[in-house]
Amino acid sequence: MTKTLIINGETVSIDVDESMPLLWFLRDRLEFTGTKFGCGSGLCGACTVHLNGQAIRACVTPVGSLADQSITTIEGLSDNGDHPLQKAWLDNRVPQCGYCQAGQIMNAASLLSQNTQPSDQDIEMAMQGNICRCGTYQRIKKAIRDAADELAKEA
Amino acid sequence: MSNLTRRSFLKSATAGTSGLMLGITIPASALAKDKPFKQDEFNPNAFIHLTEDGKTTIYCGRCEMGQGISTALPAAVADEMEADWEQVTVLQAEGNEDKYGPQATGGSASIRLMYIPMREAGAKAKFMLEAAAAKTWDTDIKNCYAKKHFVFLKNSDKKLSFGELASLAATMPAPENPKLKEKSDYAYIGKDLKRHDQDDVVVGKRTYGVDTKLPGLKYAAIVHCPVLDGKLKSVDKSAALAIKGVSDVVEIERLDVPYGSLGGVAVVADNSWTAQQGVKALKVEWDAGKNGIYDTKTYKQQLIANVEKPAQVMDARGDATTGLKNAKNTHSATYTGGHLSHSPMEPNASVVWVQDDSCEVWASTQSPADIQKVLGQFLKRKPKDIKVNVMMAGGAFGRKFKCDYVHEAAAISQQVKAPVQLIWSREEDMRTGYYHSTSAQHLQAGFDDEGNVDSWLQRVAFPSINSLFDKSVKRAPKGATKDVFNHPFGIENMQVESGEALAHTRIGWYRAVYAIFYGFAFSSFADELAHKAGMDPFEFLNKLYDNNTNPKQAEQIERSKAVLALAADKSGYHQRDKLPKGQAIGLAVHYSFNSYVAMAVHVDVDGDNIKVLNVDCAVDCGQILNTDGATAQMEGAVVMGMSLSLYTEIVFRDGQVVNSNFHNYPVLRINEMPNVRVHLIDSDKEPTGLGEPGVSPFPPALTNAIFAATGKRYRDLPIKPISV
Ligand code: FES
Ligand code: FES
Repeated sequence: MTKTLIINGETVSIDVDESMPLLWFLRDRLEFTGTKFGCGSGLCGACTVHLNGQAIRACVTPVGSLADQSITTIEGLSDNGDHPLQKAWLDNRVPQCGYCQAGQIMNAASLLSQNTQPSDQDIEMAMQGNICRCGTYQRIKKAIRDAADELAKEA
Repeated sequence: MSNLTRRSFLKSATAGTSGLMLGITIPASALAKDKPFKQDEFNPNAFIHLTEDGKTTIYCGRCEMGQGISTALPAAVADEMEADWEQVTVLQAEGNEDKYGPQATGGSASIRLMYIPMREAGAKAKFMLEAAAAKTWDTDIKNCYAKKHFVFLKNSDKKLSFGELASLAATMPAPENPKLKEKSDYAYIGKDLKRHDQDDVVVGKRTYGVDTKLPGLKYAAIVHCPVLDGKLKSVDKSAALAIKGVSDVVEIERLDVPYGSLGGVAVVADNSWTAQQGVKALKVEWDAGKNGIYDTKTYKQQLIANVEKPAQVMDARGDATTGLKNAKNTHSATYTGGHLSHSPMEPNASVVWVQDDSCEVWASTQSPADIQKVLGQFLKRKPKDIKVNVMMAGGAFGRKFKCDYVHEAAAISQQVKAPVQLIWSREEDMRTGYYHSTSAQHLQAGFDDEGNVDSWLQRVAFPSINSLFDKSVKRAPKGATKDVFNHPFGIENMQVESGEALAHTRIGWYRAVYAIFYGFAFSSFADELAHKAGMDPFEFLNKLYDNNTNPKQAEQIERSKAVLALAADKSGYHQRDKLPKGQAIGLAVHYSFNSYVAMAVHVDVDGDNIKVLNVDCAVDCGQILNTDGATAQMEGAVVMGMSLSLYTEIVFRDGQVVNSNFHNYPVLRINEMPNVRVHLIDSDKEPTGLGEPGVSPFPPALTNAIFAATGKRYRDLPIKPISV
């Protein structure tokens, strides 16, 4: 029986070589291209998605290891693009080329799910694995702080 | 799920052709080539398309790579047209310079070239809409005015929407010289308008070159000949072909034209990952050829030797030799820097489909016309017969000006007779790129006891970009050294020399290009001289400018001094004696790409631990189109400037690049991000670009700050090279 996994709430069968990294399963098999390829070696964070809510690097995660697990990609982070981070990203005009930003947002969402009030240092620690070559780091920091404040208000 | 990408892809690929269409006129002087722009006011692929439901599409002919040009220019069109930005869709124009004017996007030139022509296109549309309303109401056009997607009749409550007027407007004559708006009336120009594409980015729907999907698409990966002008000796394809999903192995020959492939072997499969596995399974042997000797460590030593002895004089005024001999005080220093790889987050990627009677390209690119040219040469077809869909680039920084990766995809597609997506691995992107030149510069100056510098010798040596086009180029030519000679410091006796520097790899434009090392040398050396003269660097820089009595440079002097003063003021430079031990502020100012940028970098240094606390950037780029975009460009330039000051360097050994990925080509990460404050000068001067000018002041402002804090002078970049 083919293994399955859940992507953004939908069950999908793993009908490829099980050692294929999740990144390419998403991009080439499902044509789900929001998740980006940057380095292929876990060094840049462009491919960050959630495994049961926690950030992982899709480029180094074999899809076969994810049977029955739940994956969330940028396309599934919120129903209407209204996750507090997505809103804060827009309010702070974060993206330049935007290529790294899906990974940045997914990583930040994972951070906020574990630490609702991160300090500047917490943010720097958690986000260090995500490269932005356009240099949007200052706005990323501010957007994460804003989203955390927003979440605190909601709580 | 998969429909998402297809839909947005189709949206950019097919645009309607009815309603109001407007072309633009670009002054012939603004064109790089002398071919005049075809003036055709109702060109079906022109810049503005207004349909009867009021939807307005504005095409951006310049390539978008994150610099925000596809917001800045269309917003200027919308402003003149009195369109409501909320009802405007921006689409990237396909490659067609006859229709869209020059599209090669580099040199921070988009705004300089296109600002007025694009505004005029908007103003013409507005006039025609007003004329249509006047005709409808049977009144004089003077009684009609456009505002926010409507035309109103003065002194009445009558109005007609742009959509209602579209068809009639299309029949109105376009004015020759439409009147442009006054600054006080701008709705979008000069404001912090939000970029048109950020909403798509945050939900993962913005599609890049790497995201193109087509029915029947095949996926390719490639390994290149690691040495310039090397050759394939042998390749054993069997293990690759044995992998399930691999369909072909294609040898690609070096195409010896400026942006052609280095040569390599590609593997084609039914997905990218399998193709990559195939490449890893290839057993390839290369014949390195004469560049197999290239070693950047010894090469840099050679460059230093070449600038520390007399070289070829490129430009001179006065008599620097005598001036230096007779000077009361002299000082000399040599500055060096390494090769850089652009390393945008999106590696080189494109889709190409070569068929017997057509060729279509979807590529992240900075220059669609070069793709047409190179593919035309390769396929022996007319450039016009190559259709180029310009995709959003996930960063480019000069790299995607060159289309070797598109040529390769075309070569593969031709062989396998299918649309092919080729994505370079990060390793190939880093190892077989077009690099920013490694460089050495030797400077000597003579000055009196009051700090007046009257003699300046600058010898430069670096493999030049011209070597791409002419392999016999042995040194930087005059076109590349004139910025040194024309630097606005007021020096009576000035001599610029160019030392020998044969290229052993492909050299390419990198964000800010030669201004990176020229800016480093000028601002570092001025700081050294200030300390030698016992003067405050700020006062000393002002004196250097004030000593320039050339009336042709008066404006440059005034604007350079203004940004310098602003950066110094905002940073607290003048109160720097109150800073705690280990902290200091360094200054630098550089004029490049027609814009002026000064930076004040505030550091805290403890041993080898260099922390950048604040960066104050003062900017004069003339009239600003989008304040948020300008600010973002400066923030990004600081990050890139800081990466190359501290870490990034491409190292060659035995002709090959040793770096391979971000672990041994480390770029700045968020934990080192300083607090960047951008101060824009409000100006009415001609608008100039800002993609590049922010990079060059950072490195010297940083090293000047480190010197002020510790007494240690860094003259070789990067200052914390990683050992690879
Ligand atoms: S692509 Fe996965 S970490 Fe870079
Ligand atoms: S926005 Fe371009 S890489 Fe981050």
